[in-house]
Amino acid sequence: MSASLLKIDNLRTYFYSRSKRAFIRSVDGVSLAINRGETLGIVGESGCGKSVTALSVMGLITATPGVITGRIDFANGTLHRNLLDGLDQSVRLSEEEGRIMDVVKDSGAWQRQSDRLQRGVRGGEIAMIFQNPKASMNPFEPVGAQIVEAVRLHTEHTGKKEAEQRALHWLERVRIDSPRLRFHNHPYGLSGGMCQRAMIAMALAAEPSLLIADEPTTGLDATIQSKIVDLLAELKAEIGITTLLISHDMGVIGRLADRVAVMYGGRVVEEGGAQQVLAGGEGNHPYTRALIASIPGAAEVRQKSYLQAIEGDVLDTINIPAGCRFYERCNRVTEAVRERCADCEPQLFDAGSGQRVRCWLFAP
Amino acid sequence: MTFFLLIGVSVVVFVILYLAPGDPFSVLLEGEMPTEAAREGIRQAMGVPTTWYSQYFAWLGKMLVGDFGTSIRTGMPVLPELLRVGWNTLVLTGGAMLVTLLVAVPVALYSAVRGVTLISWPLTILAYVISALPLFWLGYLVLYVAMRHFGIFPFAFASLGSEPKLIYFLLPILVLGLGSGAISEVVRHLREESSRVLDEEYVRTARAKGASVWRHAFKEGFLLPVTAIMATKVPFLIGGAIIVEQVFNWPGMGRMAWQAAQDRDYPVIMAIAIAAALLVRIGTLVQRVVYVTVNPRASQE
Amino acid sequence: MKRFRQRPGEISEFSDLPLWQKADTIDLLYVGYGLLIVSLVVASYLLGALQWLPHDPNALNLNLLLAGPGTPGHLLGTDFMGRDLLTRLVLGIQAYFLPGLMAVASALFGGTVLGVVAGYRGGGAGLIVTFLGNLIDSFPRLVLILLVIAAFKPDIWYIMAVIGISNVPAVASLVQGKIAMLREKNFIEAAVALGLPTRTIIAKHILWYNCKALLIIQATLGMAEAILMETSLSYLGFGVQEPTPSWGNMVQSGANYFLQGNLWPSTAPALAILFTILGFHLLGDGLNNLLEGKRGR
Repeated sequence: MSASLLKIDNLRTYFYSRSKRAFIRSVDGVSLAINRGETLGIVGESGCGKSVTALSVMGLITATPGVITGRIDFANGTLHRNLLDGLDQSVRLSEEEGRIMDVVKDSGAWQRQSDRLQRGVRGGEIAMIFQNPKASMNPFEPVGAQIVEAVRLHTEHTGKKEAEQRALHWLERVRIDSPRLRFHNHPYGLSGGMCQRAMIAMALAAEPSLLIADEPTTGLDATIQSKIVDLLAELKAEIGITTLLISHDMGVIGRLADRVAVMYGGRVVEEGGAQQVLAGGEGNHPYTRALIASIPGAAEVRQKSYLQAIEGDVLDTINIPAGCRFYERCNRVTEAVRERCADCEPQLFDAGSGQRVRCWLFAP
Repeated sequence: MTFFLLIGVSVVVFVILYLAPGDPFSVLLEGEMPTEAAREGIRQAMGVPTTWYSQYFAWLGKMLVGDFGTSIRTGMPVLPELLRVGWNTLVLTGGAMLVTLLVAVPVALYSAVRGVTLISWPLTILAYVISALPLFWLGYLVLYVAMRHFGIFPFAFASLGSEPKLIYFLLPILVLGLGSGAISEVVRHLREESSRVLDEEYVRTARAKGASVWRHAFKEGFLLPVTAIMATKVPFLIGGAIIVEQVFNWPGMGRMAWQAAQDRDYPVIMAIAIAAALLVRIGTLVQRVVYVTVNPRASQE
Repeated sequence: MKRFRQRPGEISEFSDLPLWQKADTIDLLYVGYGLLIVSLVVASYLLGALQWLPHDPNALNLNLLLAGPGTPGHLLGTDFMGRDLLTRLVLGIQAYFLPGLMAVASALFGGTVLGVVAGYRGGGAGLIVTFLGNLIDSFPRLVLILLVIAAFKPDIWYIMAVIGISNVPAVASLVQGKIAMLREKNFIEAAVALGLPTRTIIAKHILWYNCKALLIIQATLGMAEAILMETSLSYLGFGVQEPTPSWGNMVQSGANYFLQGNLWPSTAPALAILFTILGFHLLGDGLNNLLEGKRGR
């Protein structure tokens, strides 16, 4: 408990579709914990809610209704705060048949409270890097200046010269080529990979306790991707920074994560040690198994065999079925559990040595 | 580009005057309107150019040294007079731009940040109505209210020689600023652009960094759109100034233009046309300069 | 406080929202109002042309000066010379109707021709259109018109010619843009491949099917501008002269009385201008939204 740097408890982030008059239940009751010093990887297909989870932690969800329930405890030793403290004041929910059907939220008050809670944390204690680094940096300012801003805002190096030194230092640490030159470049003059390095520098320059990396390699060229992964691995070894890594790329997760959580349909369906989860065998959630199986191995690529796809479409987070969310696409259903799978959503069952699986097959 | 446009401007004015009956160029080049025979004689004697292209260059040359001819009505040289009253129009137009911004900017930014609210629909309608309202009537309305309820009588302060009070300036500036129809355009453009920028990824990064969102969004979300839209509104403001000057008897370029059109005073109206076009192009130029300064990728032309 | 409600049960793909929530309604309102105005204008024009007016516009009724609206016999009252305002307002439309149509027609015609040429020739012609557009826009419209008035004469047809010509580059660049877009979608290539003659391609497919909307909208905007210009000019004393009524000169002649407290003679024509220009603007905006696809409200 006290070793958790970040503990997310029953987070729900919903969006509302005007045209369909229904909720998009992007994050539908997610609970996760990240321990100090470890890298937790969140993996899943597009639309499963992984990015939204991260954005919810940072208080960056502005669409309505946004975050509606939950508790996010951040504790780094000196600072201990629930980032969703007082949330209940501004939100009223009503359920029907166990599902939330009505939300009344005072977005203005909620946002103000959220900003108040995030002050001192966002950017300084928790830093985030995004997909698409070129678009994520201010095109009007030189890269160096943007890093300097982070330094001056969040560290004790508030003097201009000092901050510039620090910024340069970080650019060197992310192994960017010609750091002095890049310091004065604008983002348009940098390649995707270089921009991502600069973003990492900018995030780490603030000396945060937690780094959230949202699909940091997606969108980069394949060769560059592995270089960035290497960089993150090196930095992890050098600095030991706690990281929340989000990716749909199993390879990246495998390389960097200590623990892994698999998300599907807005919920966590499996979590455990990286080795355990990525084994992709009998001891895993059917979805995890299918995910791992769908990655073509070198042999398969050479032989040009058929890719093993997962049957069916990704869960539409508007029309959520009654039972297990993966039931429709599951190919491991046995007669013994079929009825329960269809009607009743399973909870996370203990599968031994810290691993938990949300599947009736693992019920005691 | 601006250079070519200015050349183009002079060509347009030239063509209009050239095609006009009554041979304005004799007036401009010679200073009076003698009879045809006398003119021909003088022309040959003085070597005044007769072909259209030499006329053009002679005329252009004169303008470049500041000789815009003399007014048919007053007989005085045009340029000094124009500079004197032009200043009043600049004050009027500049002040109106300020008024427009003071009203439009808060409305636009509020809408951008808060999203569509209950009051945005009536405001939109109000903006439409104001842009369709005849400017001259609005002027009279404001004048009426000022006179009846505030006891202000701002007519023709210049000719009376009395000390112009500040309020005399404010009324026409207020009318032009509110009634020119520029407000709704500015609001629409600024709101669109700033909403778009606030959703941009780099602004999200700024927020994630704990940095001031507006400091990052300012350039693309405020400065660029405002200069862009205001630059396009300059011609409308000048046109509106002509009307407002009429209502308030404001001694400016607009009223001078009206007088010149009445009297067929070619030199004056020509000079004003050129001056107006020049002002518009300066406005565009300022906007381009801002754009290039702010944008690291743009190169100087 | 905002409320978000989801109905229990199956969520359909196309939920039928109540009519008042559909984006179209506001646009329908706009278009409805605009069409109303247009028909009033056309009707008034015809009434005026046929001289089917309630009163003689120049008949002085010295007993009934400055009567307010609703006075028996004078639906909108009388002006400072006892002349019936309704009649004069209806007649005022003559001043801008035909000339305005001419301005619009010439702008659309010239702009379409230029736009098609530029669209087909590409590159250089396009630059010329842009340059011309910038050139014309360098002059405030009113200044340009005053210049023409000074050089030639204060004839409404000359003025409308200027307005028409000055709108040509705008229409041209819109048409050209449309053609560029069609070209990008290989639309034109396909038509050529089908063996359609160029004339048909241009007339039927490009203009009629694709440019209809933007041309209609430009027509409404052009007419609105023409009315604005005509009224402003007649206010300034150019255009039709007393005693022939024009909305602009009606406001001007009523100005002194306005400042003395008799607000109506100047306000009636001002309101006419307001509602009419508003009608054309809303018509253009509404049609734009309806025809070019809905924007999420």
